[in-house]
Amino acid sequence: MVEGSNPSGPAEGGAKMAKLNVLQHELVPAHHVVKKEEEDKVLKELGIAKDLLPRISRSDPAIKALEEIHGPLEGGTIIKISRKSPTMGYSVYYRVVTSEVFK
Amino acid sequence: MMKYLLFKDTKKNMEMLRKDLPARYAVEADLKDCPAGAAYVTNDKKSMIYRLKIESISPYKDQEGLFKKRQTGLKSILELSLVEPVEPLPLSEFKVSGKKIKEFVDFTVADLEKTEFTEKKSYSEDVPKEISEIISIASKKGISIPVSVAEDLAKYRSEMGKDGFNKLLERVYQDLETKQIDPHEAVGIIAAQSIGEPGTQMTMRTFHFAGVREMNVTLGLPRLIEIVDARRIPSTPSMTIYMKPELEKSEEAVLNLVKELENTTIIDVADIVTDIEQMTLSIVPTARKMNERLVKHTDISEALAKVKGITVMHDEEGKEIVIKPQQESFKRLYQLQEQIKVLTIKGIPGIKRAITRKDPSTEAFIIYTQGSNLKEVLEVDQVDSTRTFTNDIIEIANVLGIEAARNAIFNESERTLSEQGLEVDQRHLMLVADMMTFGGNVRAVGRQGISGRKSSVLARAAFEITTKHLLRAGLLGEIDPLTGVAENIIVGQPITLGTGAVNLVYKFNRK
Repeated sequence: MVEGSNPSGPAEGGAKMAKLNVLQHELVPAHHVVKKEEEDKVLKELGIAKDLLPRISRSDPAIKALEEIHGPLEGGTIIKISRKSPTMGYSVYYRVVTSEVFK
Repeated sequence: MMKYLLFKDTKKNMEMLRKDLPARYAVEADLKDCPAGAAYVTNDKKSMIYRLKIESISPYKDQEGLFKKRQTGLKSILELSLVEPVEPLPLSEFKVSGKKIKEFVDFTVADLEKTEFTEKKSYSEDVPKEISEIISIASKKGISIPVSVAEDLAKYRSEMGKDGFNKLLERVYQDLETKQIDPHEAVGIIAAQSIGEPGTQMTMRTFHFAGVREMNVTLGLPRLIEIVDARRIPSTPSMTIYMKPELEKSEEAVLNLVKELENTTIIDVADIVTDIEQMTLSIVPTARKMNERLVKHTDISEALAKVKGITVMHDEEGKEIVIKPQQESFKRLYQLQEQIKVLTIKGIPGIKRAITRKDPSTEAFIIYTQGSNLKEVLEVDQVDSTRTFTNDIIEIANVLGIEAARNAIFNESERTLSEQGLEVDQRHLMLVADMMTFGGNVRAVGRQGISGRKSSVLARAAFEITTKHLLRAGLLGEIDPLTGVAENIIVGQPITLGTGAVNLVYKFNRK
């Protein structure tokens, strides 16, 4: 099976997503772009290569919303996600933007 | 807020105007009261494709050098200084007196609403100062403690003095370290057992919705299976809708919203009778059902006006509506009947029913629905778009993103288990949620998802559909480095977990 060949859910035609700031939704944790200079520091701290990080698609609504603020985000950009965690209070997670589009 | 004039025109006209600026353009609408400024032009009544700058508007007078939109019935002259094509801007972004435009009317003055995109604060800004202080004191000692532990520590800091507090910190850290899971421990297996064992005690089929009558939501084991299988559409999609804080206590506003949300089709309020001899369809409205759903006769007429390829033969208030397909064939008549049945009169497609419930602690109303359409519900004005959610995880992934889907998987599975009185440690559920969303889309646990994508051929073959995996690996010349568990068991080696993960190297020539 080809990676990401899962058919996507209903609706979501080619129509342009109406403007809704998904970043403020309760279910969406804080997404922040990691600056290029700081990437190495983050990867060293985690002890991991960039391509092994969990991924986030370029077509992800949260990434689309971040692009409205920061301009286009290239594949390979690291996104820092600060989740509210019921066990830790807060936990930090990283994802790397892939150009893969899941449809 | 800026006011814009919206009207419909052809691309050809716009391109002609563009070539010859500044231009004077005669249009058929009376725009005496319209403010000069800017205008948007659409050619399909759905999205705006040109932007105009209007210097002034004057009543129509026949004169030289005038562009005419059409030959007769012209009423106003627009003096244009700029015509430019823009990225298609959907009609839904314009508002008239605070409400979204549902249908395009020629020459409307509307506001353009711009959503501001803001990020949530990062957690270091969100955490209170005293707690971030404790974390920084700890990190100076080379100790990393989670925020929740720091919150607990903050209570004792003032009464303990510096030395005492430092000792406490060290003791807490020692305790934390013993409770942390060891490197190379098989967390996945532990999670699988910890969820699986209580799962056996779950009721096979339970249908009820805490405190709400007349509402079926799948719960128990079937629901849990649904979540980990990442089904496209759950068997009972349902939404929990919150209203904007200023509205949520008003019963009237809530009931109005319910009426606005519930999707009403023609078959819900009328009977459809097919007359084969005349090749017509009669829509016979039922007064009782119409009153129940607050549908007026004109609503039906309006809905029918949007259907293409039909002629309305007879339409009178309080009586049946007779329509006829333009193309006379039985096949078409049948198709039309099916199409008319599910024609939406009002409401949001997918929302079959909506009921309200008052939260006893906050006095606020919450709307629960049967059926789900997150994207469109979030765009309704009265809805609080930061709290409203659905139980359809794939829909959440599409509308709110992968991280929201991860939280939804966790919340849903946690709720399903705790509703049955089962206690599973949250960390196990988090692990499942993280694994399912690892690759950027929601993957099922199982052959099609996580297990089917392991990098090792032998591990995949050991799980399911053995021959397919082995054959494929043979054809493609895959290499198995034997790093996982299953493949090492197959070849009879110690597994790479726990103590088996450590390799010893003896350097014999060392002095």
